[in-house]
Amino acid sequence: MPTVLSIEHLTKVYPKGTRALDDVSLEISRGEFVVLIGLSGSGKSTLLRCLNGLVEPSGGRVVFDGQDVTAARGAELRRLRRRMGMIFQQFNLVKRASVFQNVLAGRLGYRSTWRTIVGRPDREDIELAFTNLQRVGILAKAYARADALSGGQQQRVGIARALMQRPDLMLADEPVASLDPATSHSVMKYLEEINHTDGITVICSLHFLSLARRYGTRVIALKDGKVAFDGKPQAIDERRFKEIYGEDAVEVEIGVGKTQAELLSEAEALVTAPDFAADR
Amino acid sequence: MAEYFRARNLPVPPELERTWLTDWRRWLAIAGTVAVLYVGLRITDIDTSRANPGYVGQILGQLLTPKWDVLFPQAATICEPPVVPCPPGNFWEAGLGLIIITIFMAVVATALALVVAVPLSFLGARNVMTGNPLATAIYAGVRVMFTVVRSIDILIVCIVGVVLFSIGNAAGVFAIAFHNIGVMGKLYSEAIEGIDAGPIEAITATGANRFQVIWTAVLPQIVNPFISLTIYRLDTNVRLAPVIGLVGAGGIGVLLFQYMNLLRYHEAGAIIFLIVLTVVVMDFLSAQVRKRLA
Repeated sequence: MPTVLSIEHLTKVYPKGTRALDDVSLEISRGEFVVLIGLSGSGKSTLLRCLNGLVEPSGGRVVFDGQDVTAARGAELRRLRRRMGMIFQQFNLVKRASVFQNVLAGRLGYRSTWRTIVGRPDREDIELAFTNLQRVGILAKAYARADALSGGQQQRVGIARALMQRPDLMLADEPVASLDPATSHSVMKYLEEINHTDGITVICSLHFLSLARRYGTRVIALKDGKVAFDGKPQAIDERRFKEIYGEDAVEVEIGVGKTQAELLSEAEALVTAPDFAADR
Repeated sequence: MAEYFRARNLPVPPELERTWLTDWRRWLAIAGTVAVLYVGLRITDIDTSRANPGYVGQILGQLLTPKWDVLFPQAATICEPPVVPCPPGNFWEAGLGLIIITIFMAVVATALALVVAVPLSFLGARNVMTGNPLATAIYAGVRVMFTVVRSIDILIVCIVGVVLFSIGNAAGVFAIAFHNIGVMGKLYSEAIEGIDAGPIEAITATGANRFQVIWTAVLPQIVNPFISLTIYRLDTNVRLAPVIGLVGAGGIGVLLFQYMNLLRYHEAGAIIFLIVLTVVVMDFLSAQVRKRLA
Protein backbone atom coordinates (compact mmCIF):
# COMPACT_ATOMS: atom_id res chain seq x y z
CA MET A 1 0.00 0.00 0.00
CA PRO A 2 1.32 3.45 -0.81
CA THR A 3 2.29 5.85 1.95
CA VAL A 4 -0.36 8.47 2.64
CA LEU A 5 1.32 10.21 5.53
CA SER A 6 4.92 10.46 6.54
CA ILE A 7 6.00 12.03 9.77
CA GLU A 8 9.67 13.01 9.84
CA HIS A 9 11.52 13.83 13.07
CA LEU A 10 8.48 15.65 14.47
CA THR A 11 9.20 17.63 17.64
CA LYS A 12 6.93 19.92 19.60
CA VAL A 13 8.04 21.97 22.58
CA TYR A 14 5.31 24.13 24.11
CA PRO A 15 6.18 27.69 25.21
CA LYS A 16 6.26 26.60 28.86
CA GLY A 17 8.96 24.05 28.03
CA THR A 18 6.91 20.84 27.88
CA ARG A 19 8.40 18.50 25.30
CA ALA A 20 5.20 16.92 23.96
CA LEU A 21 6.77 15.25 20.92
CA ASP A 22 10.39 14.21 20.72
CA ASP A 23 11.73 13.22 17.30
CA VAL A 24 8.75 11.13 16.15
CA SER A 25 9.11 9.50 12.73
CA LEU A 26 6.34 7.32 11.25
CA GLU A 27 5.08 6.16 7.89
CA ILE A 28 1.34 5.54 7.56
CA SER A 29 0.04 3.59 4.58
CA ARG A 30 -3.27 4.13 2.85
CA GLY A 31 -6.10 2.11 4.39
CA GLU A 32 -4.47 1.46 7.76
CA PHE A 33 -6.44 1.71 11.01
CA VAL A 34 -3.81 3.11 13.34
CA VAL A 35 -4.52 3.23 17.04
CA LEU A 36 -2.46 5.61 19.15
CA ILE A 37 -2.08 4.60 22.77
CA GLY A 38 -0.14 5.98 25.70
CA LEU A 39 -0.64 7.66 29.06
CA SER A 40 -2.31 11.05 29.36
CA GLY A 41 0.28 13.65 28.43
CA SER A 42 2.28 11.22 26.28
CA GLY A 43 1.74 13.42 23.20
CA LYS A 44 -1.16 11.67 21.42
CA SER A 45 -3.31 14.79 21.06
CA THR A 46 -0.37 16.93 20.06
CA LEU A 47 0.66 14.42 17.39
CA LEU A 48 -2.86 14.32 15.91
CA ARG A 49 -3.07 18.12 15.90
CA CYS A 50 0.31 18.48 14.22
CA LEU A 51 -0.96 16.30 11.37
CA ASN A 52 -3.60 18.83 10.29
CA GLY A 53 -1.75 21.94 11.39
CA LEU A 54 -3.94 22.82 14.38
CA VAL A 55 -0.67 22.77 16.33
CA GLU A 56 2.50 24.02 14.72
CA PRO A 57 5.43 21.70 15.43
CA SER A 58 8.75 23.09 16.64
CA GLY A 59 10.71 20.88 14.28
CA GLY A 60 10.37 18.16 11.68
CA ARG A 61 7.89 17.68 8.85
CA VAL A 62 4.52 16.13 8.14
CA VAL A 63 4.04 15.13 4.52
CA PHE A 64 0.49 14.27 3.51
CA ASP A 65 0.03 12.75 0.06
CA GLY A 66 3.25 14.34 -1.16
CA GLN A 67 2.52 17.80 0.25
CA ASP A 68 4.30 19.34 3.21
CA VAL A 69 1.66 20.22 5.82
CA THR A 70 4.13 21.92 8.16
CA ALA A 71 5.27 24.37 5.47
CA ALA A 72 1.74 25.09 4.20
CA ARG A 73 0.12 28.38 5.18
CA GLY A 74 -3.23 30.08 4.59
CA ALA A 75 -5.30 28.75 1.72
CA GLU A 76 -2.84 25.95 0.97
CA LEU A 77 -3.08 24.65 4.55
CA ARG A 78 -6.88 24.87 4.45
CA ARG A 79 -6.99 22.83 1.24
CA LEU A 80 -4.91 20.12 2.95
CA ARG A 81 -7.04 20.26 6.09
CA ARG A 82 -10.27 19.66 4.24
CA ARG A 83 -8.94 16.28 3.12
CA MET A 84 -8.40 15.27 6.75
CA GLY A 85 -11.50 14.78 8.86
CA MET A 86 -11.24 15.08 12.62
CA ILE A 87 -13.42 13.99 15.51
CA PHE A 88 -12.96 14.89 19.16
CA GLN A 89 -13.43 13.55 22.66
CA GLN A 90 -15.92 16.32 23.49
CA PHE A 91 -17.54 16.03 20.01
CA ASN A 92 -17.09 19.82 19.54
CA LEU A 93 -20.44 20.39 17.89
CA VAL A 94 -21.98 23.85 17.78
CA LYS A 95 -24.52 23.05 20.49
CA ARG A 96 -27.09 25.71 19.66
CA ALA A 97 -27.18 24.78 15.98
CA SER A 98 -29.16 21.90 14.49
CA VAL A 99 -27.60 18.53 13.70
CA PHE A 100 -28.10 19.31 10.01
CA GLN A 101 -26.26 22.65 10.25
CA ASN A 102 -23.45 20.98 12.15
CA VAL A 103 -23.04 18.35 9.46
CA LEU A 104 -23.13 20.94 6.67
CA ALA A 105 -20.31 22.81 8.44
CA GLY A 106 -18.02 19.97 7.35
CA ARG A 107 -18.33 21.39 3.84
CA LEU A 108 -17.01 24.87 4.74
CA GLY A 109 -13.56 24.20 3.32
CA TYR A 110 -15.14 23.78 -0.10
CA ARG A 111 -17.39 26.82 0.18
CA SER A 112 -16.67 30.49 -0.37
CA THR A 113 -16.92 32.94 2.51
CA TRP A 114 -19.74 34.65 0.67
CA ARG A 115 -21.81 31.47 0.47
CA THR A 116 -21.29 30.94 4.20
CA ILE A 117 -22.82 34.35 4.94
CA VAL A 118 -25.70 34.00 2.50
CA GLY A 119 -26.31 30.63 4.12
CA ARG A 120 -27.56 28.78 1.07
CA PRO A 121 -25.80 25.44 0.78
CA ASP A 122 -25.49 23.77 -2.62
CA ARG A 123 -28.03 21.14 -3.52
CA GLU A 124 -25.11 18.73 -3.72
CA ASP A 125 -24.03 19.58 -0.15
CA ILE A 126 -27.55 19.04 1.17
CA GLU A 127 -27.78 15.64 -0.48
CA LEU A 128 -24.37 14.69 0.85
CA ALA A 129 -25.43 15.80 4.35
CA PHE A 130 -28.50 13.56 4.28
CA THR A 131 -26.48 10.66 2.90
CA ASN A 132 -23.98 10.97 5.73
CA LEU A 133 -26.66 11.44 8.39
CA GLN A 134 -28.27 8.26 7.16
CA ARG A 135 -24.94 6.48 7.22
CA VAL A 136 -24.43 7.19 10.89
CA GLY A 137 -28.08 6.39 11.56
CA ILE A 138 -29.16 9.80 12.80
CA LEU A 139 -31.39 11.03 9.99
CA ALA A 140 -34.47 11.20 12.24
CA LYS A 141 -32.69 13.75 14.45
CA ALA A 142 -31.56 16.01 11.59
CA TYR A 143 -33.39 19.11 12.82
CA ALA A 144 -32.89 18.58 16.54
CA ARG A 145 -30.54 20.92 18.35
CA ALA A 146 -27.13 19.29 18.72
CA ASP A 147 -27.17 19.51 22.51
CA ALA A 148 -30.45 17.59 22.65
CA LEU A 149 -28.61 14.43 21.54
CA SER A 150 -26.89 11.84 23.69
CA GLY A 151 -23.10 11.54 23.73
CA GLY A 152 -23.00 8.63 21.31
CA GLN A 153 -25.35 10.39 18.93
CA GLN A 154 -23.29 13.60 19.11
CA GLN A 155 -20.14 11.69 18.25
CA ARG A 156 -21.88 10.17 15.24
CA VAL A 157 -22.84 13.69 14.12
CA GLY A 158 -19.13 14.47 14.49
CA ILE A 159 -18.30 11.56 12.19
CA ALA A 160 -20.93 12.70 9.66
CA ARG A 161 -19.46 16.22 9.73
CA ALA A 162 -15.99 14.84 9.07
CA LEU A 163 -17.31 12.61 6.25
CA MET A 164 -18.71 15.74 4.54
CA GLN A 165 -15.11 16.67 3.76
CA ARG A 166 -14.76 13.45 1.71
CA PRO A 167 -11.52 12.91 3.60
CA ASP A 168 -8.62 10.63 2.74
CA LEU A 169 -7.61 10.54 6.36
CA MET A 170 -9.66 10.50 9.56
CA LEU A 171 -8.09 11.78 12.77
CA ALA A 172 -9.88 10.78 15.95
CA ASP A 173 -8.77 12.26 19.28
CA GLU A 174 -10.08 9.98 22.06
CA PRO A 175 -13.42 9.64 20.27
CA VAL A 176 -14.93 7.30 22.85
CA ALA A 177 -13.33 8.50 26.09
CA SER A 178 -16.56 10.27 27.16
CA LEU A 179 -18.83 7.36 26.25
CA ASP A 180 -19.96 4.18 27.99
CA PRO A 181 -18.64 0.79 26.77
CA ALA A 182 -21.49 -0.26 24.46
CA THR A 183 -21.76 3.20 22.91
CA SER A 184 -17.96 3.21 22.53
CA HIS A 185 -18.14 0.08 20.44
CA SER A 186 -20.97 1.49 18.32
CA VAL A 187 -18.88 4.60 17.52
CA MET A 188 -15.77 2.51 16.85
CA LYS A 189 -17.80 0.34 14.48
CA TYR A 190 -18.65 3.40 12.38
CA LEU A 191 -14.96 4.28 12.18
CA GLU A 192 -14.21 0.69 11.18
CA GLU A 193 -16.93 0.84 8.56
CA ILE A 194 -15.61 4.00 6.87
CA ASN A 195 -12.13 2.48 7.01
CA HIS A 196 -13.29 -0.71 5.26
CA THR A 197 -15.90 0.69 2.86
CA ASP A 198 -14.38 4.02 1.86
CA GLY A 199 -10.77 3.07 2.38
CA ILE A 200 -10.27 6.12 4.60
CA THR A 201 -7.09 5.84 6.64
CA VAL A 202 -7.90 6.21 10.33
CA ILE A 203 -5.60 7.43 13.08
CA CYS A 204 -7.39 7.13 16.38
CA SER A 205 -6.15 7.65 19.93
CA LEU A 206 -7.68 5.38 22.55
CA HIS A 207 -7.36 4.64 26.25
CA PHE A 208 -8.48 1.03 26.24
CA LEU A 209 -6.10 -1.57 24.91
CA SER A 210 -9.02 -3.95 24.34
CA LEU A 211 -10.50 -1.47 21.85
CA ALA A 212 -7.11 -1.03 20.24
CA ARG A 213 -6.77 -4.81 19.78
CA ARG A 214 -10.28 -5.13 18.43
CA TYR A 215 -10.21 -2.29 15.86
CA GLY A 216 -6.59 -1.44 15.09
CA THR A 217 -4.56 -2.91 12.26
CA ARG A 218 -1.53 -1.25 13.79
CA VAL A 219 -0.84 0.14 17.23
CA ILE A 220 1.58 2.97 17.94
CA ALA A 221 2.38 3.71 21.56
CA LEU A 222 3.79 7.03 22.67
CA LYS A 223 5.70 7.51 25.87
CA ASP A 224 7.04 10.93 26.90
CA GLY A 225 6.68 12.12 23.32
CA LYS A 226 8.65 9.23 21.81
CA VAL A 227 7.44 6.15 19.93
CA ALA A 228 7.58 3.31 22.48
CA PHE A 229 5.95 0.63 20.35
CA ASP A 230 4.91 0.29 16.73
CA GLY A 231 3.45 -2.93 15.43
CA LYS A 232 0.56 -5.36 15.32
CA PRO A 233 -1.94 -5.08 18.18
CA GLN A 234 -1.45 -8.77 19.01
CA ALA A 235 2.24 -8.14 19.71
CA ILE A 236 1.48 -6.16 22.86
CA ASP A 237 2.13 -8.60 25.71
CA GLU A 238 2.50 -8.08 29.45
CA ARG A 239 6.10 -6.84 29.14
CA ARG A 240 5.37 -4.40 26.32
CA PHE A 241 2.32 -3.15 28.22
CA LYS A 242 4.44 -2.33 31.28
CA GLU A 243 6.99 -0.57 29.06
CA ILE A 244 4.28 1.68 27.68
CA TYR A 245 2.19 2.34 30.76
CA GLY A 246 4.76 1.91 33.54
CA GLU A 247 5.54 -0.87 36.03
CA ASP A 248 2.50 -0.27 38.27
CA ALA A 249 -0.06 -0.34 35.48
CA VAL A 250 -2.64 -3.11 35.25
CA GLU A 251 -4.65 -3.63 32.12
CA VAL A 252 -8.36 -2.97 32.59
CA GLU A 253 -11.03 -4.08 30.18
CA ILE A 254 -13.65 -1.71 28.88
CA GLY A 255 -17.05 -2.72 30.25
CA VAL A 256 -15.95 -4.71 33.30
CA GLY A 257 -18.03 -7.83 33.95
CA LYS A 258 -19.08 -8.31 30.36
CA THR A 259 -17.32 -10.16 27.60
CA GLN A 260 -16.35 -8.33 24.47
CA ALA A 261 -18.85 -10.43 22.53
CA GLU A 262 -21.64 -9.23 24.81
CA LEU A 263 -20.61 -5.61 24.42
CA LEU A 264 -20.38 -5.98 20.67
CA SER A 265 -23.85 -7.43 20.42
CA GLU A 266 -25.12 -4.57 22.60
CA ALA A 267 -23.42 -2.14 20.27
CA GLU A 268 -24.91 -3.96 17.31
CA ALA A 269 -28.35 -3.50 18.86
CA LEU A 270 -27.66 0.22 19.23
CA VAL A 271 -26.53 0.58 15.65
CA THR A 272 -29.43 -1.32 14.15
CA ALA A 273 -32.18 0.03 16.44
CA PRO A 274 -34.66 1.82 14.20
CA ASP A 275 -34.97 5.04 16.18
CA PHE A 276 -31.84 4.88 18.34
CA ALA A 277 -33.99 5.54 21.38
CA ALA A 278 -31.90 3.09 23.37
CA ASP A 279 -28.71 4.96 22.62
CA ARG A 280 -27.33 6.72 25.65
CA MET B 1 -3.53 21.97 68.76
CA ALA B 2 -0.60 21.91 66.38
CA GLU B 3 0.92 19.27 68.65
CA TYR B 4 -1.78 16.82 67.58
CA PHE B 5 -0.46 16.93 64.03
CA ARG B 6 3.22 16.92 65.01
CA ALA B 7 2.75 13.93 67.32
CA ARG B 8 1.32 11.93 64.41
CA ASN B 9 3.94 13.22 62.00
CA LEU B 10 1.30 14.96 59.86
CA PRO B 11 1.69 18.30 58.11
CA VAL B 12 0.44 21.10 60.37
CA PRO B 13 -2.29 23.36 58.91
CA PRO B 14 -0.77 26.82 58.45
CA GLU B 15 -3.56 28.56 60.38
CA LEU B 16 -2.49 26.66 63.51
CA GLU B 17 0.99 28.06 63.27
CA ARG B 18 -0.03 31.71 63.36
CA THR B 19 2.89 33.70 64.63
CA TRP B 20 3.40 37.14 66.05
CA LEU B 21 4.23 38.30 62.52
CA THR B 22 0.87 37.45 60.98
CA ASP B 23 -0.99 38.91 63.96
CA TRP B 24 1.10 42.02 63.69
CA ARG B 25 0.03 42.45 60.04
CA ARG B 26 -3.59 42.02 60.97
CA TRP B 27 -3.35 44.73 63.63
CA LEU B 28 -1.56 47.00 61.20
CA ALA B 29 -4.40 46.63 58.67
CA ILE B 30 -6.99 47.55 61.29
CA ALA B 31 -4.96 50.50 62.56
CA GLY B 32 -4.36 51.69 58.99
CA THR B 33 -8.07 51.65 58.14
CA VAL B 34 -8.94 53.58 61.29
CA ALA B 35 -6.19 56.13 60.58
CA VAL B 36 -7.36 56.68 56.99
CA LEU B 37 -10.96 57.23 58.13
CA TYR B 38 -9.87 59.63 60.89
CA VAL B 39 -7.65 61.70 58.59
CA GLY B 40 -10.38 61.65 55.96
CA LEU B 41 -12.97 63.02 58.36
CA ARG B 42 -10.58 65.77 59.52
CA ILE B 43 -9.48 67.08 56.12
CA THR B 44 -12.85 66.91 54.38
CA ASP B 45 -14.18 69.25 57.05
CA ILE B 46 -17.70 67.91 57.10
CA ASP B 47 -19.71 70.77 58.53
CA THR B 48 -23.24 69.93 59.62
CA SER B 49 -23.77 73.13 61.58
CA ARG B 50 -25.56 74.87 58.73
CA ALA B 51 -28.00 72.04 58.13
CA ASN B 52 -31.59 73.23 58.18
CA PRO B 53 -33.92 70.34 58.90
CA GLY B 54 -36.98 72.52 58.79
CA TYR B 55 -36.20 73.73 55.27
CA VAL B 56 -35.42 70.20 54.13
CA GLY B 57 -38.77 69.06 55.44
CA GLN B 58 -40.49 71.91 53.61
CA ILE B 59 -38.81 71.00 50.28
CA LEU B 60 -39.48 67.31 50.75
CA GLY B 61 -43.11 68.20 51.34
CA GLN B 62 -43.18 70.12 48.07
CA LEU B 63 -41.44 67.32 46.15
CA LEU B 64 -43.93 64.83 47.51
CA THR B 65 -46.92 66.94 46.46
CA PRO B 66 -46.15 66.99 42.73
CA LYS B 67 -47.76 69.45 40.37
CA TRP B 68 -48.68 67.17 37.49
CA ASP B 69 -49.45 70.09 35.13
CA VAL B 70 -45.79 70.19 34.17
CA LEU B 71 -46.09 66.80 32.49
CA PHE B 72 -48.66 68.03 29.97
CA PRO B 73 -48.84 70.99 27.59
CA GLN B 74 -50.54 74.07 29.04
CA ALA B 75 -52.49 76.91 27.50
CA ALA B 76 -50.31 79.97 26.99
CA THR B 77 -50.11 82.30 29.99
CA ILE B 78 -48.13 85.37 30.77
CA CYS B 79 -44.59 84.38 31.48
CA GLU B 80 -41.28 86.10 31.83
CA PRO B 81 -38.31 83.77 31.60
CA PRO B 82 -36.21 83.14 33.46
CA VAL B 83 -38.01 84.61 36.45
CA VAL B 84 -41.40 83.14 35.62
CA PRO B 85 -40.81 80.13 33.34
CA CYS B 86 -43.20 79.63 30.46
CA PRO B 87 -45.31 76.51 30.91
CA PRO B 88 -44.70 73.84 28.26
CA GLY B 89 -46.47 74.91 25.09
CA ASN B 90 -46.68 71.62 23.17
CA PHE B 91 -46.56 67.93 24.02
CA TRP B 92 -42.85 67.45 23.28
CA GLU B 93 -41.84 70.31 25.58
CA ALA B 94 -43.84 68.94 28.50
CA GLY B 95 -42.62 66.25 30.88
CA LEU B 96 -44.36 63.32 29.25
CA GLY B 97 -43.06 64.16 25.80
CA LEU B 98 -39.59 64.82 27.17
CA ILE B 99 -39.36 61.46 28.95
CA ILE B 100 -40.26 59.77 25.67
CA ILE B 101 -37.55 61.77 23.93
CA THR B 102 -35.13 60.85 26.70
CA ILE B 103 -35.87 57.12 26.35
CA PHE B 104 -35.31 57.34 22.61
CA MET B 105 -32.06 59.25 23.15
CA ALA B 106 -30.89 56.22 25.11
CA VAL B 107 -32.16 53.84 22.42
CA VAL B 108 -30.42 55.73 19.61
CA ALA B 109 -27.21 56.05 21.62
CA THR B 110 -27.23 52.33 22.48
CA ALA B 111 -27.75 51.47 18.81
CA LEU B 112 -24.87 53.73 17.76
CA ALA B 113 -22.59 52.21 20.37
CA LEU B 114 -23.66 48.71 19.30
CA VAL B 115 -22.73 49.34 15.68
CA VAL B 116 -19.22 50.36 16.67
CA ALA B 117 -18.70 47.98 19.61
CA VAL B 118 -19.76 44.69 17.98
CA PRO B 119 -17.10 44.60 15.24
CA LEU B 120 -14.45 45.94 17.62
CA SER B 121 -15.32 43.33 20.26
CA PHE B 122 -14.09 40.54 17.97
CA LEU B 123 -10.76 42.34 17.66
CA GLY B 124 -10.72 42.60 21.46
CA ALA B 125 -11.34 38.90 22.16
CA ARG B 126 -8.22 36.90 22.99
CA ASN B 127 -9.54 33.61 21.62
CA VAL B 128 -10.28 35.17 18.22
CA MET B 129 -7.06 37.15 17.96
CA THR B 130 -4.53 34.35 18.18
CA GLY B 131 -1.98 32.97 15.82
CA ASN B 132 0.34 35.82 14.96
CA PRO B 133 1.93 38.79 16.76
CA LEU B 134 -0.06 41.33 14.72
CA ALA B 135 -3.36 39.84 15.90
CA THR B 136 -2.14 39.90 19.51
CA ALA B 137 -1.07 43.54 19.13
CA ILE B 138 -4.48 44.50 17.72
CA TYR B 139 -6.16 42.67 20.60
CA ALA B 140 -4.11 44.57 23.19
CA GLY B 141 -4.67 47.90 21.41
CA VAL B 142 -8.46 47.44 21.21
CA ARG B 143 -8.69 46.42 24.87
CA VAL B 144 -6.67 49.44 26.00
CA MET B 145 -8.92 51.65 23.85
CA PHE B 146 -12.03 50.19 25.50
CA THR B 147 -10.57 50.84 28.95
CA VAL B 148 -9.60 54.44 28.14
CA VAL B 149 -13.00 55.23 26.58
CA ARG B 150 -14.78 53.62 29.51
CA SER B 151 -12.78 55.41 32.15
CA ILE B 152 -13.85 58.89 30.97
CA ASP B 153 -16.93 59.62 33.02
CA ILE B 154 -20.09 60.22 31.05
CA LEU B 155 -20.58 63.75 32.44
CA ILE B 156 -17.15 64.74 31.18
CA VAL B 157 -17.99 63.38 27.73
CA CYS B 158 -21.24 65.36 27.94
CA ILE B 159 -19.32 68.59 28.53
CA VAL B 160 -17.19 67.81 25.48
CA GLY B 161 -20.40 66.95 23.58
CA VAL B 162 -21.98 70.27 24.51
CA VAL B 163 -18.89 72.06 23.19
CA LEU B 164 -19.06 70.02 19.95
CA PHE B 165 -22.80 70.05 19.30
CA SER B 166 -23.93 72.96 21.53
CA ILE B 167 -26.64 72.47 24.14
CA GLY B 168 -29.22 69.88 23.18
CA ASN B 169 -29.99 66.22 22.61
CA ALA B 170 -27.14 65.65 20.14
CA ALA B 171 -24.59 66.19 22.89
CA GLY B 172 -26.31 63.69 25.15
CA VAL B 173 -26.66 61.02 22.48
CA PHE B 174 -23.00 61.48 21.56
CA ALA B 175 -21.90 61.17 25.17
CA ILE B 176 -23.93 58.04 25.95
CA ALA B 177 -22.87 56.40 22.68
CA PHE B 178 -19.18 57.22 23.21
CA HIS B 179 -19.09 55.98 26.78
CA ASN B 180 -20.96 52.80 25.83
CA ILE B 181 -18.53 51.88 23.08
CA GLY B 182 -16.05 51.28 25.88
CA VAL B 183 -18.45 49.47 28.19
CA MET B 184 -20.25 47.37 25.57
CA GLY B 185 -17.02 46.59 23.74
CA LYS B 186 -15.55 45.14 26.93
CA LEU B 187 -18.72 43.17 27.80
CA TYR B 188 -19.04 41.74 24.26
CA SER B 189 -15.33 40.82 24.15
CA GLU B 190 -15.64 38.97 27.43
CA ALA B 191 -18.75 37.16 26.16
CA ILE B 192 -16.76 36.01 23.13
CA GLU B 193 -13.88 34.90 25.35
CA GLY B 194 -16.31 32.86 27.43
CA ILE B 195 -17.52 30.59 24.62
CA ASP B 196 -16.75 26.90 24.18
CA ALA B 197 -13.49 26.61 22.20
CA GLY B 198 -14.23 23.08 20.95
CA PRO B 199 -16.37 24.03 17.94
CA ILE B 200 -13.74 26.60 16.90
CA GLU B 201 -11.13 23.86 16.77
CA ALA B 202 -13.49 21.49 14.95
CA ILE B 203 -14.52 24.01 12.30
CA THR B 204 -10.89 25.08 11.80
CA ALA B 205 -10.05 21.42 11.22
CA THR B 206 -12.57 21.21 8.35
CA GLY B 207 -10.43 23.66 6.37
CA ALA B 208 -12.63 26.71 6.96
CA ASN B 209 -11.03 30.16 6.92
CA ARG B 210 -10.99 32.50 9.91
CA PHE B 211 -14.12 34.33 8.88
CA GLN B 212 -16.05 31.08 8.31
CA VAL B 213 -14.91 29.84 11.72
CA ILE B 214 -16.28 32.98 13.39
CA TRP B 215 -19.49 32.80 11.39
CA THR B 216 -20.16 29.13 12.06
CA ALA B 217 -18.60 28.36 15.44
CA VAL B 218 -18.58 31.70 17.29
CA LEU B 219 -21.73 33.56 16.20
CA PRO B 220 -24.31 30.93 17.25
CA GLN B 221 -22.75 30.91 20.70
CA ILE B 222 -22.81 34.67 21.26
CA VAL B 223 -26.14 35.83 19.84
CA ASN B 224 -28.09 35.39 23.07
CA PRO B 225 -25.40 36.80 25.38
CA PHE B 226 -25.07 39.82 23.07
CA ILE B 227 -28.82 40.50 23.07
CA SER B 228 -28.89 40.12 26.84
CA LEU B 229 -25.96 42.51 27.35
CA THR B 230 -27.44 45.05 24.94
CA ILE B 231 -30.74 45.09 26.82
CA TYR B 232 -28.87 45.48 30.09
CA ARG B 233 -26.97 48.46 28.69
CA LEU B 234 -30.16 49.97 27.25
CA ASP B 235 -31.67 49.77 30.73
CA THR B 236 -28.59 51.46 32.22
CA ASN B 237 -28.61 54.16 29.52
CA VAL B 238 -32.25 55.01 30.12
CA ARG B 239 -31.21 55.52 33.74
CA LEU B 240 -28.30 57.74 32.69
CA ALA B 241 -30.14 59.84 30.12
CA PRO B 242 -32.12 62.04 32.56
CA VAL B 243 -28.97 62.89 34.54
CA ILE B 244 -26.99 64.32 31.64
CA GLY B 245 -29.47 67.19 31.38
CA LEU B 246 -27.48 68.59 34.33
CA VAL B 247 -24.80 69.82 31.92
CA GLY B 248 -27.29 70.79 29.22
CA ALA B 249 -26.92 67.61 27.19
CA GLY B 250 -30.64 67.32 26.52
CA GLY B 251 -33.50 65.17 27.66
CA ILE B 252 -35.91 65.55 30.52
CA GLY B 253 -33.01 66.36 32.85
CA VAL B 254 -32.79 69.88 31.40
CA LEU B 255 -36.36 70.56 32.46
CA LEU B 256 -35.79 69.04 35.89
CA PHE B 257 -32.73 71.16 36.61
CA GLN B 258 -34.51 74.25 35.33
CA TYR B 259 -37.27 73.82 37.89
CA MET B 260 -34.77 72.88 40.61
CA ASN B 261 -32.79 76.07 40.01
CA LEU B 262 -35.97 78.09 40.17
CA LEU B 263 -36.78 76.38 43.48
CA ARG B 264 -40.07 75.11 42.04
CA TYR B 265 -40.11 71.81 43.84
CA HIS B 266 -43.73 70.83 43.14
CA GLU B 267 -42.93 70.67 39.43
CA ALA B 268 -39.53 69.02 40.08
CA GLY B 269 -41.28 66.40 42.17
CA ALA B 270 -43.58 65.47 39.28
CA ILE B 271 -40.61 65.10 36.94
CA ILE B 272 -38.61 63.03 39.43
CA PHE B 273 -41.61 60.76 39.91
CA LEU B 274 -41.87 60.26 36.15
CA ILE B 275 -38.14 59.44 35.88
CA VAL B 276 -38.29 56.96 38.75
CA LEU B 277 -41.35 55.29 37.23
CA THR B 278 -39.61 54.98 33.86
CA VAL B 279 -36.45 53.51 35.37
CA VAL B 280 -38.40 51.00 37.47
CA VAL B 281 -40.41 49.86 34.44
CA MET B 282 -37.27 49.58 32.29
CA ASP B 283 -35.48 47.66 35.01
CA PHE B 284 -38.36 45.21 35.30
CA LEU B 285 -38.75 44.71 31.55
CA SER B 286 -35.01 44.28 31.06
CA ALA B 287 -34.80 41.69 33.85
CA GLN B 288 -37.76 39.75 32.40
CA VAL B 289 -36.37 39.66 28.87
CA ARG B 290 -32.88 38.70 30.03
CA LYS B 291 -34.23 35.94 32.24
CA ARG B 292 -35.87 34.37 29.20
CA LEU B 293 -32.67 34.65 27.16
CA ALA B 294 -30.43 32.97 29.69
